[in-house]
Amino acid sequence: MRRSHFGSPWLMLTPAISLISVFILVPIVLTVWLSFHDWSTQTGFGAARFVGLRNYEDLFGPISVGRDFRRAFLNTAVYTVLSVVIILPLSVLFGLLVHQTRVAGGQVLRTILFSTYMVPMIAVALVWSKLYSPTEGPINQILSWIGIGPQPWLSSPDTALFSLVILNVWQQIGYFTVLVIAGLTQIPLSLYEAARIDGANRMQEFFGITLPLLRRTLLFSSVIAVINAVQVFEPVVLITQGGPANSTNVLTFHIRRVGIERAQGGLGSAMAVMLMLSLIVIIVLIFAMARQKEER
Amino acid sequence: MNAISRVWIAAAATMMPLTAYAQDVQLTYLTHWAPDTVALLEEAASAYSAEHPGVTISVRAVPFGDLLTTIRSGGTDGTTIASIYDLWLPALVKDGLVAPAPENVAKEVSDNWPAGIAAAASVDGAIYGIPNEVNVYALNYNKALFEEAGIAAPPKTWDELKDAAAKLTDLSAGQQGFGMINSWAAGVVHPFASLLVSNGGQLIADGKPLLDSKEALETFQLYETMIKEGYSVAAMGTADANTTGPYLDNFVSGKTGMIIMANWWESALKGGMGDDFDNIGTAPIPVGPSGDAPRSISYSWQTVVNAGATPAEQEAAWDFLVWLNGPESGKNGASAMADILQSMGILPSRNSDIEAYSDALNRPFLEGYVSTLADAQAFPIVLGGQEFSEALQQVIEQLQYGQITAEEAQANAQADAVSILERAAQ
Repeated sequence: MRRSHFGSPWLMLTPAISLISVFILVPIVLTVWLSFHDWSTQTGFGAARFVGLRNYEDLFGPISVGRDFRRAFLNTAVYTVLSVVIILPLSVLFGLLVHQTRVAGGQVLRTILFSTYMVPMIAVALVWSKLYSPTEGPINQILSWIGIGPQPWLSSPDTALFSLVILNVWQQIGYFTVLVIAGLTQIPLSLYEAARIDGANRMQEFFGITLPLLRRTLLFSSVIAVINAVQVFEPVVLITQGGPANSTNVLTFHIRRVGIERAQGGLGSAMAVMLMLSLIVIIVLIFAMARQKEER
Repeated sequence: MNAISRVWIAAAATMMPLTAYAQDVQLTYLTHWAPDTVALLEEAASAYSAEHPGVTISVRAVPFGDLLTTIRSGGTDGTTIASIYDLWLPALVKDGLVAPAPENVAKEVSDNWPAGIAAAASVDGAIYGIPNEVNVYALNYNKALFEEAGIAAPPKTWDELKDAAAKLTDLSAGQQGFGMINSWAAGVVHPFASLLVSNGGQLIADGKPLLDSKEALETFQLYETMIKEGYSVAAMGTADANTTGPYLDNFVSGKTGMIIMANWWESALKGGMGDDFDNIGTAPIPVGPSGDAPRSISYSWQTVVNAGATPAEQEAAWDFLVWLNGPESGKNGASAMADILQSMGILPSRNSDIEAYSDALNRPFLEGYVSTLADAQAFPIVLGGQEFSEALQQVIEQLQYGQITAEEAQANAQADAVSILERAAQ
């Protein structure tokens, strides 16, 4: 009786632990192990040659391997920060607008907003690469109507990454708006009624009730937005190939280039480990900041 | 059962496995060609299958930017046949992804292709692929813009190139004199290398990078001058994953006076320009201050067979490729491959194909390329070549966008190349 009491939980947990181990832990451990080796992705793991910290030294070295990695790292960070900083406030704004149940066509607006999230990235990439075309693109033509000269968009290292951020915001905003709407529906209307009786205006309602009670939703949104942004890949591979002048080379694209195209599995693994560590640090920081605010 | 019957039964038993295996062979062919060209390849494959009922061939196409990744991620389980850029061959051989050509195929290649082209399909003396296309770089210029600017002839020297670029540049009208491409490794590096060899320099010799030479510095300085003087606008030179984009758009729409590009762009230029294609002239690469004659860079493509394919698949694949590239499969003594290549304006490399297409190769656009081919240097094929090419691309693009000086570009390019080639050789 005692044995079955202690044995059954482990028995119940074994399938889940096995699956997690096989599909998550083993690949992570393998990637970390490979990052200390010189290994061609076209050969077996047995052919991996131990090189210690050399791959990591190269990532921070002066030659092209290090320069390209650091640029990709910086580009990924900028892309992530800009995406999150734009998406979160915009999703709250759209959420508040769409959540107004009395406004006619609210459901239609909600559907239109979410539809951008459902469009396949290949279609988005094809359309946006034409929209951004410096000579024939509609965006520059529209800008010219209001007296703004042609912008280089994807053709300049100064604007290419930001152009991809705009594309990302356009595609993702609907999804995050839906999350915000879900959060808004959880806020009891009685709180707003009580605030109004106490003489609170709209701004006070927003900062005193809406925003604090949306904190958990926004925490979830920010974690998902960070993960999505860090994993950006398709627009880069489909539109810019990392150019011009490495300005849109992001980590996922760079790891693919190094690890698959050049078959440098050890170096690619070291880059993947750095990406994973950065992501862990960011996510932990977001949760720590959220917890600190809740404690206050 | 008499002796003759026994012999028949034995013979039939011997043939049975062969017949069965022949009927089971399914080949897959990976290419980066556009749908129209893929249709021609499929047509040729159907013709082969009609003659060899046991063999079916399906063609798979991916954009050029994804071709190497597709080959590598497929590994030994990938497509049976793949079309590859010659620069990739040493690394694919090192990783055991491509099969050496059987003796009869190797002899076919050695006997029927120019020695330089056959060498590009070889690693350590063994042939691994059947060459098909060869590409060379030349100066393309817009004759209508030249006439408007009062330029009588295409530039022969770098001084004339800069002078023509200055006359053709009208930034207020969004027009640049000389177009320099970015965002595509080979597209960036090949024109640079063409100018370098026309200035008497080399990228790599005997496995050692030579980007620290005076000739290389002068080439970097030419790029710097073009940008600083406004003759080239970097933002007008972007290419996309399909190697088209603003760089092509600006040239076909008359916003760029001159570019350095390979012959295979003929179909893209025709498609973009229509009747205005006649305005495009071809001339040798201008000679630099340290050069003595116009030279250029050439590179080739070839088809290889997957080392992981079964012996039956490999045998059928090589047989198909010999047929596809042989004089019996096409029109008027040309190979079916040459017919496909010529539909895109690409030069075939087999001796008999060049002969069969001698008239077509003399058309105005291609004539300039064919005449350049004799003095072209093959782009160096070394282990680590792709990484070397991508690293040099980044340095050149930084120079194009004014992020570094010519001297910094030279120092970075040489240091990168030394490190990459040393590591690859280990």
